[in-house]
Amino acid sequence: MDLQDAIRGRRSIRAFRNEEVPRDLLAQLIEAAIWAPSASNAQTWRFVIATEPKRIRSIKTVSPGLLGDPAAVIAVCQDLAAARERGGTLGETFLAPVDAAMATENLLLAAYAEGLGTCVIASFHRGAVGRVLGLPEGIEPMLLVSVGWPAEAPPAPSRSREGRVFFEVYNGSG
Amino acid sequence: MGQAELEERLFELVGYMVTSGRNLLDETSLYGPFRLLDAASRLILLLEDEEIISSRLSTIRERIDAGKYSVMTSPGEFRTFLDSLVDALVDHMNPGKEKGGDQLGKRTEISRG
Repeated sequence: MDLQDAIRGRRSIRAFRNEEVPRDLLAQLIEAAIWAPSASNAQTWRFVIATEPKRIRSIKTVSPGLLGDPAAVIAVCQDLAAARERGGTLGETFLAPVDAAMATENLLLAAYAEGLGTCVIASFHRGAVGRVLGLPEGIEPMLLVSVGWPAEAPPAPSRSREGRVFFEVYNGSG
Repeated sequence: MGQAELEERLFELVGYMVTSGRNLLDETSLYGPFRLLDAASRLILLLEDEEIISSRLSTIRERIDAGKYSVMTSPGEFRTFLDSLVDALVDHMNPGKEKGGDQLGKRTEISRG
């Protein structure tokens, strides 16, 4: 798939068909994620993939932003102690979530290229999701990604450019 | 659906509402009405799956599900959608079909616009 087509075609999917996603395919998505840039090449991200229906239901119960019934939920996590060790306070508080976001975008595009639907979820209770996934202290879930075969094709929201993009010097309102 | 599955789904709905309550402390206030609508939709769906059928509730659920995501794209559209949903609720209450109440000692009919 052409990269521009993937970038422009991907949507947040909140309705999924009741079909499994093969484990190999999920592994491919993680492979794409870990090829994302990582500040100081820290690679302190961690991924936990939930596929058992009961576990997904438990995650959903404490994740108001998780809509629909996906075949899998991927928790994009960070080892914050490792991030602090590699990047200091900046690494822990800023670079770790940025790295997680960049890895997540790779994952989303790879999923779209395979015909999968995804949605990034930030609205979840971190402590509760951590317990459901057995995360030890210091492994922080940054984002959840629901993954499944899409049952909808939502239209693209418009993208604004005016007042947002400048060459050389900022020339917009403060 | 058996008792165990019903209890599980009710538990999940309560979990959704409780976690929403906590998360809304830190989220955009627009998500408050969205979560309420979504909880209403989930509740109606649960009733439907239990074969507790109400055509007006099903109609409301369909309207919620058709419009709720406007919160993501246009707050103004979402507001208009909410107003239309409340209007639909009132329509389903069948107002104006009962006699008007006493007003200043005089009985009046409720007029519908």
